[in-house]
Amino acid sequence: METVAPFAEAVVEIQRAGAESTRLCFQCGKCDVSCPWNKVRDFSIRKIIRQATFGLTEIENDDIWRCTTCGSCPSICPRGVGQIEVSVALRRVAAEYGIYPESAAAVRGACASLVAEGNPLHAQRATRAEWAQGLGVKAFSEGTELLYFVGCYLSYDPRMKKVATATARILQHAGVDFGILGTQESCCGESIRKTGAEQEFKDLARANIKTFIDHGVKRVLVSSPHCYHTFVNEYPEFMVHFEVVHISQLLAELIADGRLELHGELPKKVTYHDPCYLGRHNGIYDEPRRVLASFPGIELVEMADTRQRSLCCGGGGGRIWMETPKSERFSDLRVQQAVATGAELLVTSCPYCITNFEESRLSLEGDGVLEVKDLTEVVAEALAGPQDASS
Amino acid sequence: MSAAGVERVAGSGFADVMVVGGGISGIQSALDLATSGFRVFLVERAPTIGGKMAQLDKTFPTNDCSMCIESPKFIECDRHPNIEILTYTEVDAVEGSAGDFTVSLVKKARYVDEEKCTGCTTCVEYCPLEIPDPFNQELSPNKAIHIYFSQAVPLVPYIDESCLFLKEQKCSICEGVCTTKAIDLHQKPEKLQLKVGAIILAPGYEVYDPRLRGDYGYGAIENVVTSLDFERLLCATGPHEGEILRPSDKKHPHKIAWIHCVGSRQVLAGTNSYCSSVCCSYIQKQVILAKDHDADTEAVIFHNDIRSYGKDFERFYKRAANLPGVKFIRSYVSIGREIPETKNVTIRFATDADGVQEEEFDLVVLGVGLAPPTKVERLARQLGIELNAHGFCTTDPTNPVQTTRPGIFVGGAFQGPMDIPESVVSASGAGAMSGALLKSRRGKLARDRHYPPERDVSEEEVRVGVFACHCGANIGRVVNIPSLVEYCQGLEHVAHAEEGLFICSTDAAQQIAETIREKRLNRVVVAACTPRTHEPLFRDTLREGGINQYFFDMANIREHCSWVHSKEKEKATQKAKDIVRMSVARTLSLEPLEEFDLPVNKTALVVGGGVAGMTSALSLAEQGFEVELVERERDLGGIARRLHTTLEGLDVQAFLHDLIRKVYRHQLIHVSHEATITDVSGYVGSFVTTVRTEGRTRTIRHGAAILATGADEHRPDEYLYGSDERVLTQLELEERLAAGDEAVTAADRLVMIQCVGCREENRDYCARVCCNQAIKNSLALKKIKPEMEITILFRDMRTYGFAEDFYLEAARRDVKFVRWDGGDKPQVEATAEEGAPVLRITVPDPILGQRLALDAELLVLSVAVVPARGSQQLARLFKVAMNPDGFFQEAHVKLRPVDFAADGVFLCGANHYPKHLTEAISQAYGAAGRAVTLLAQDTVTASGSVCEVTEEECVSCGACISACTYGAISWRETAKGSKAVVNPALCKGDGLCCAKCPTDAVVLKHYTNREVFDQIDAALADPWSPRASQQGVQHDV
Repeated sequence: METVAPFAEAVVEIQRAGAESTRLCFQCGKCDVSCPWNKVRDFSIRKIIRQATFGLTEIENDDIWRCTTCGSCPSICPRGVGQIEVSVALRRVAAEYGIYPESAAAVRGACASLVAEGNPLHAQRATRAEWAQGLGVKAFSEGTELLYFVGCYLSYDPRMKKVATATARILQHAGVDFGILGTQESCCGESIRKTGAEQEFKDLARANIKTFIDHGVKRVLVSSPHCYHTFVNEYPEFMVHFEVVHISQLLAELIADGRLELHGELPKKVTYHDPCYLGRHNGIYDEPRRVLASFPGIELVEMADTRQRSLCCGGGGGRIWMETPKSERFSDLRVQQAVATGAELLVTSCPYCITNFEESRLSLEGDGVLEVKDLTEVVAEALAGPQDASS
Repeated sequence: MSAAGVERVAGSGFADVMVVGGGISGIQSALDLATSGFRVFLVERAPTIGGKMAQLDKTFPTNDCSMCIESPKFIECDRHPNIEILTYTEVDAVEGSAGDFTVSLVKKARYVDEEKCTGCTTCVEYCPLEIPDPFNQELSPNKAIHIYFSQAVPLVPYIDESCLFLKEQKCSICEGVCTTKAIDLHQKPEKLQLKVGAIILAPGYEVYDPRLRGDYGYGAIENVVTSLDFERLLCATGPHEGEILRPSDKKHPHKIAWIHCVGSRQVLAGTNSYCSSVCCSYIQKQVILAKDHDADTEAVIFHNDIRSYGKDFERFYKRAANLPGVKFIRSYVSIGREIPETKNVTIRFATDADGVQEEEFDLVVLGVGLAPPTKVERLARQLGIELNAHGFCTTDPTNPVQTTRPGIFVGGAFQGPMDIPESVVSASGAGAMSGALLKSRRGKLARDRHYPPERDVSEEEVRVGVFACHCGANIGRVVNIPSLVEYCQGLEHVAHAEEGLFICSTDAAQQIAETIREKRLNRVVVAACTPRTHEPLFRDTLREGGINQYFFDMANIREHCSWVHSKEKEKATQKAKDIVRMSVARTLSLEPLEEFDLPVNKTALVVGGGVAGMTSALSLAEQGFEVELVERERDLGGIARRLHTTLEGLDVQAFLHDLIRKVYRHQLIHVSHEATITDVSGYVGSFVTTVRTEGRTRTIRHGAAILATGADEHRPDEYLYGSDERVLTQLELEERLAAGDEAVTAADRLVMIQCVGCREENRDYCARVCCNQAIKNSLALKKIKPEMEITILFRDMRTYGFAEDFYLEAARRDVKFVRWDGGDKPQVEATAEEGAPVLRITVPDPILGQRLALDAELLVLSVAVVPARGSQQLARLFKVAMNPDGFFQEAHVKLRPVDFAADGVFLCGANHYPKHLTEAISQAYGAAGRAVTLLAQDTVTASGSVCEVTEEECVSCGACISACTYGAISWRETAKGSKAVVNPALCKGDGLCCAKCPTDAVVLKHYTNREVFDQIDAALADPWSPRASQQGVQHDV
């Protein structure tokens, strides 16, 4: 066994970057047993914490980039260690030194794209609102009741644009007064912050906040749980307080108020996946289920690892941009769990989850075994008749 | 039903003390106080006294049957004229002040009249409604009307609220079948108002409910059970009569997992941050017992520190760990999944070097923690006492028995999670405090026990009664009891033979007394369990039956038969018959023996003037007794002189100063300094101790003695201690800190090594205090110099109980912790780094998989606490026992933790075992309380089973005198020369002298040659006829 000495200067840097909670760890192993990585390979967040405690972090290693920030381990840690904060702190140090291993190289590109164009997908800011063309979606102005903050994936990703479209249709059908910021919308910054790019996050956040204030935004509707999370939990660091609602909450509200009636049947076995950032991080488990339960004829079944135990799709923590080898994808396991329930349709409410599940779906045995849909897509299909895009 | 011949307080609404809570702690308080001359109400909200201990199968570390050591105390309480038991009763409000409380209580409706009920259980038989049995953790059914458990006191059923009549006015069968019209379905709760001078709160604890957070699938996955569920499964009176059958398919599990710290040591909402103190040991106990049940059982224990800090715990741990098929894995776990086909459960755990593993188990047992009792906030409000942040009783660290309201004391686990001995100790301590408060009332309300007159049976023909016990399924499942009874009926001189399910229950015991009278029995054999626990109870029963108690013999057909031959039922039954036949033969020659009343000198001697000794002395004095306190040093104070703080922040020196002052000022305490005890003679009630003190010799006459001689600090010869001045012990560090030594505060880096000189081969116990001391000193250092780097190298962090919070606090202050294995010790070298001298401590870190080299300016060793020098000599003087580690050995590790087996001598403090200051204080009060149960009497009764010399036969050889280790035999000058004479007060009845005597001049009463030979003859001959032996038939022996 080799002998090493604690590296005091490294400890100071790591602690300063936000890893104070490493001191609380008493190496019980509970984090490792709940970490989804250990379903696909060996990975020890416990060891990462231990190394950070003594300044012995292997800063060039893949391992500090593995955490998807799913929140499983902090939710059961007996000592209250902030494993996510520690992971982010280590990444901040790595980012400061510009050290990115091969597997995390894509993060740099995403970061550059965010700085240049306000989105991580190497798309142009100018085309951010193209998805809404011809849909009769208005621009947000002071006095508009609800800002629909679309988010990067829904604005640019071909698969996710369908979700944006469905969302807009639903809002119009229900007569909701909403508007979008279009090209003035920048990425919420949640995921890039988790890759240690603290300054870039601050810049994005401040830009968005200024835009919100300038437009008199009060209530914000989001489609992505990641946008939800940062607006609710992190933007207040800048001393602002906007009212934020996730689409699943709004749908539940609209259905309960009778402003949305679902006429289409859904005679299928359906299962719902709790996105980490909606469920575990923000406690929203029931509203999406209530929405699904309103469908006549639906049979809603629960997968193993449901609710607080939901299995991460692998997209958080910036990993949506990174390549994960096929044999190491949690989302493969998740779609298998969906199939195991006998469900024909896997519904969720997060762009990262949908992206990952769509890809994992392709690796399932047999064709057409499982459909993956966003909650809004399912709802939109069930609205009665074709609707005029009014106002 | 009241036991015959015992008067009741019934009707009067006042007594001296009310004990709220009838678990082992409440029972102990009640018995101590009642014996010391006070009238006690023992109030319990369950239908019977007993508490959690009654639900346990066995108790660690001795694995005694829990009910067997507890239930004789139920009957003692029941028969004690100074105790009134109020069950199914709750406290509603308390008004008044210390010395004069008015307590309002509500006696819940049992729907059964206790006076009329005979405990026949016919109602139970006829009741149509089955409910989950609360005593058996709802794992098996019972009827809506039932007796809580078989040894219940009172032995009266109660009706559960789910009764069909109570809910829907349907069904009243039980009322109809009761032959004494004892059932009253319209019974209303009764309000009581009782006046007492003091209150002892002993409401115990509740186990943590894993259903609150759905921990580990409890409630959803069938084969996940709690440790208390498992305790019932283990128990012969449990859901499956002692067969460990798992819930899903009632099959025997072969691979069982135990999970530590369920609900404890966590900061998550709905959990408790403290350590529950007892789970590590109770899990080891369950593992050992599970292996007893089935030697092929595989057991895996998942933990994060093994807290074997108590007396004999470390050896118990090793015992469990060394069993084949038992693995201890250091990892908290999560449930993988329940396998639908088999209902097995998988557990995911982390390893040091092999990632996360998953293993499958037949059964998972959750080591649930201890929580405050249910409705504790209400209880606190009603009693006007404060609770601490964890919901347990707030106590004063300098007096853990005192609540925040004067006159209300606390005993047992309501102080905080604790083991049974600590519970019993605090109970006696609460008794002592009550006794001090009410000392002027001692004896005023007390009643004496009255037995029926003893019948002279000398002219009667021998009529033996044999009572054979099933002991639930313990004996009955192996030995064919009906066949045994039939056999007994055929034995000569047996006039009566019967069987019983639990002869130790109040009802059955009383039946024996009645049968003795009715059938004119003059000998009694109880074929059941062990005389160690039950002989006193049955001897007392013979007195109730009107015959001399020495006409009793106990045939052990459990430990000596059913428990060791459980797989050979026929042979076991035959052996049981042999054993009973031998007992019957023995009883024929038994003589009625008188017990001696010895006078009690009311002065107490306390040996040792440390905190424990002084606290004891003060408590005794405050209870009105004279105390001679002898201390071998020039100053009082003991090891506390070297302590300055405690974890809780006590200013030890101020406390000590205050305590010493109180001791000197109390007129009943006489202190001798620089004292050496040169001789101890006499016996309980009349000791004579010779002390050499400050140049003079004093002779002290006293009735009781408390040994409080403390312990010493081990001086290690490793880790450079002694050769490098930068290496200190924790006590040395503390002294230097208090003195403001700059060499300490100048250190930038400090390392502590735990377990120095203990938990190793030649000293295999845990010194208990060191983990707390390390944390305490670390926190003190961090306060002075927050940037000091402190690393503690530990094997297990044993910050049990509420100290766990301080472990977390230390972590918050950035104290680092590195775990090392027993086999790979830290290496220390004095070296230099960049020209500056450093101590380099190298230790492997199991998670890093690397050795850490820690440089430090100071190295502090947590060294073992060892027995005080001179302990052995003191033990010889007082004729008390020592344990393998050299600490004093108490009479019973669980239920008599401050008594010595030698009557009249007690112990407290670190000489019993290393302990924290607060624990020493608690034990000191406990010892004082126990000593007063003796000192409050005018006389004490000594056993009749003692030796006696027939002078004419004595040839004055002196062999008996040299054989006796109690010094009970001496020379007496007679006209015919020196003859041996036995002092019956000192004689312990071991019979060594009888074995040595060449002329059989000395005889051990109750174990005469005749009695023993008859027993042997009966063993060898079946049928055995007493006439054969009388004719002097020779046997080859």
